[in-house]
Amino acid sequence: MSGTIRMMRAGARWLLALAVCAGLHAAAWAEAAPAAVRIGVASPAPGIPPVFTSGAVGLAYTKGWLQEAFAGTGTRVEFLFFKGAGPAVNEALTNGQVDFAFQGDLPSIIGRAGGLKTRLLMASGTLVNIYLAVPPDSPVRSLKDLRGKRVALFKGTNSQLPINRLLEANGLSERDIRTVNLDNASAKAALVTRDIDAVFGGYDLLQLRDAGQARIVYSSRGDSPVFTRQSHLLATESFASRYPDATQRVVTAVVRAAHWGSEDAHRDETLALWARMGVPQAHLLEDLGERPVRARLSPLFDPFLVARYQDAVEQAPRFRLTRTRFAVEPWIDRRFLDRALTELKLEHYWTANDAQGRALAAAR
Amino acid sequence: MSSIPILDRAHAGPLAEAPERRPAPRPPRGARVLPKRTAFRFNSARLRRLLLAWPFPLAVLALWWTATANDWVPSQILPAPSVVADTLRDLLASGELQMHLAISLERVVYGFLLGSLLGLLLGVGMGLSVVVKEYLYPTFRLLAQVPSLGWLPLLMMLVGIDEALKIILISKAAFVPVTMNTYKGIQGVSAQLVEVARVFRFSRWQLLRKVVFPAAFPPIWNGVRYGLTHAWLALVAVELLASSEGLGFLMVYGRQLYQLDVVLAAVVVVGAVGFLLDRLLTQFEGRLLRWRRESF
Amino acid sequence: MTTSFQDVASGTAAWHRQERRQRRHVQWRQFRRGIALPALVFALWWAAYAFHWTDSRLFVPLGEVWETAVRLLRNGYLQTSLAASLYRMLLGFAIGSVAGLAFGTVLALSRLFDNVVGPTLHAVKQVSLLAWIPLISVWFGLGDPAKIVFLSLAAFFPMFLNTFEGIRSVPREFTEVARVLTFSRWQLWRRVVLPAASPSIFTGIYLALIYSWLATLGAEYLLSAGAGIGNLLTDGREHFWMDQVLLGVVVVGAVGFALNWIAAHLEARLLRWRGKSIARY
Repeated sequence: MSGTIRMMRAGARWLLALAVCAGLHAAAWAEAAPAAVRIGVASPAPGIPPVFTSGAVGLAYTKGWLQEAFAGTGTRVEFLFFKGAGPAVNEALTNGQVDFAFQGDLPSIIGRAGGLKTRLLMASGTLVNIYLAVPPDSPVRSLKDLRGKRVALFKGTNSQLPINRLLEANGLSERDIRTVNLDNASAKAALVTRDIDAVFGGYDLLQLRDAGQARIVYSSRGDSPVFTRQSHLLATESFASRYPDATQRVVTAVVRAAHWGSEDAHRDETLALWARMGVPQAHLLEDLGERPVRARLSPLFDPFLVARYQDAVEQAPRFRLTRTRFAVEPWIDRRFLDRALTELKLEHYWTANDAQGRALAAAR
Repeated sequence: MSSIPILDRAHAGPLAEAPERRPAPRPPRGARVLPKRTAFRFNSARLRRLLLAWPFPLAVLALWWTATANDWVPSQILPAPSVVADTLRDLLASGELQMHLAISLERVVYGFLLGSLLGLLLGVGMGLSVVVKEYLYPTFRLLAQVPSLGWLPLLMMLVGIDEALKIILISKAAFVPVTMNTYKGIQGVSAQLVEVARVFRFSRWQLLRKVVFPAAFPPIWNGVRYGLTHAWLALVAVELLASSEGLGFLMVYGRQLYQLDVVLAAVVVVGAVGFLLDRLLTQFEGRLLRWRRESF
Repeated sequence: MTTSFQDVASGTAAWHRQERRQRRHVQWRQFRRGIALPALVFALWWAAYAFHWTDSRLFVPLGEVWETAVRLLRNGYLQTSLAASLYRMLLGFAIGSVAGLAFGTVLALSRLFDNVVGPTLHAVKQVSLLAWIPLISVWFGLGDPAKIVFLSLAAFFPMFLNTFEGIRSVPREFTEVARVLTFSRWQLWRRVVLPAASPSIFTGIYLALIYSWLATLGAEYLLSAGAGIGNLLTDGREHFWMDQVLLGVVVVGAVGFALNWIAAHLEARLLRWRGKSIARY
């Protein structure tokens, strides 16, 4: 009898062990693969199928590395492009329609300040310049002449903060100019037809200059980095906590693309790919200036970038762009980035800068 | 005052007789008798209606308040009513709301007046003269098939995004319904009335003034009301798309900066203004139609 | 003098012939006059292009508009845009008008309901239609649901108001007669109320169609992109393709015309029993 009981007990223990194993597997499966990974991009992509090559995310998209990262897992990778830029991506995030976002600093800050639960994963596309363009015969010669003029700027996007800083540095504020909210394409069209007196934008304005339809009055190239725009990749809190594996795959793929683009050997190809978005390579080079491509693609949230973001959070209420402040450090989730760097052995590839912009350690 | 059964809506049954009513005492000679319509009647039915109107919106407000207080919906989707009220107050205090409102109203008034005037002219012309109608009506109908929003991109290309665009679009939005209704109204004047006028040997001007216009007035006024609604709609549309001031711009500002309370405040103001304009028109209509004796 | 039957018959026939001739003459005159103004505009346009009165990029020859139409038809872009817009419009119209019909009926029949909910609805009605868009875009995000919600809203109010008016203005005499004839509730509804209210209801349908089409365009301009005629227009404007914009305007007008025509014929068909009456209630 005792033998039977012993056997029964052993059997029960086996069953328990089996159940525990099954439970663990189930838990692993619960983490398993999402049905789709939806990445929202805060800019329009022309063409069918959409052409999108900007930054590291664009390179990953065009080269198919994101699809590759999810091959065999049964997860679809979907890209959604928003003509309404950052603010439109915020609307999609609010409704749970995208899981990742390639967005600028201000719209994400606005979203977070408004209560959107997101996590910053990696930087992507930092220190991007802004330009001020006017019609060729315009009397506007410097930023100070903008007082009372009609200026197009895309509200809520990451250019609004550097623009406000610029205006402040020149003794103006947004109240002193008549701002018209127009997206990039409409703004350029409006400048050509003289419906507006000036336009703030990116390096795509250089094309108007070369066509003789505009004159560049100001360029932040060479000026302080506070007048540049930053962008990043973020994920929703719920997605990142439910599917850390999928999140990791996305981050690793984008870091891989960033690395690929930063390599000198691939520089020409990278520029050629970026030029596919409709901007000639010459303008890309002009915009880059002396900074190497590597600096543009660095994914690190180094003290410099963190300081920039914290500045942005502090200043936004002053420019009446947000109403609350929050700490930036807890917002950043570096685990995925660190793991990607370790996996790809790129821990020392990019230089981290301190809060003043000086290099912390020499790059290898 | 006899015992004729009075068939009006407040009455209980269709064929029941009215209770015997004693004739009302005559007012003393020389006393001013206010017409019953405008005197305030402490009517229990009216009071009841007034009281019944409030529970529903108050309930909705309460639901809204609890939803935000208990965080059933994230605050960026539905800001608390207190936040919206605060925002309204801030906008009023800083003068921004008044500025935007004034600009929007100015545009609407100019555009609406321009459009209605042109519409009245064309409508009357087409209604009275067959020649004018045969030349202009087909073209007008063709243009009327495209709603005002359909013209917007074309107009943006032709005249840019400045004030001209707004005034033109708003006038067009008001022009079409006013013209249509004026024309149909004049056309629909009963032939019998015209015959009577002919019997009385009215001159052309008398015919117009005493017969045609009063008879056509209800449809014309209808057209004017539609025109105002459409004008207001066109204004909001164009301000949402390409403007640097105005209530629509305020909404865009709120939407881009993810401040839904600003958007809600602007929506409230738009609704209030719409309501006031409608009321204004109704008052105006009452004034103009004082000559009409209503049967009920 | 007696006239034979043949004389009368041939006289009548001659009279009929003369009538027809006169009618044709009038129709021809109307056609001539109606086409005068558009023809003038076309002529000026052609002249402006042929004689280079202006070199603005905005003056495209009408042949280009036709070519663009053919090109977009060939690559299917026009069809998909139109189909997407119409699909959304019809879906929104269906939902909105059914809701409007339901609400209008309930509020017209029940005084209590009207007193409780009516004032709120009439207040909400005052908010201009497009003012709802920023709210809807945050509440419903991107994609078709947001647009369809907006379109339903657009169709709801005209339908609601007209149904309400229609049922409310059924003269009391009618219901009294029905009561005298001891109609059942269903018979009262089907034989008295509905026919009496149908002119108003049809006006409501007509207006709801118009507002839905207007709202479709508005939604495509202001809510995030998808396929649609509004996007065709916006694309053309952004790229300064006047021919595409003109084509879009023509297509929008054609759809508007088709909707008018359908509504008018539907009304004529279903209200044929009404006949032409001089007195209108």
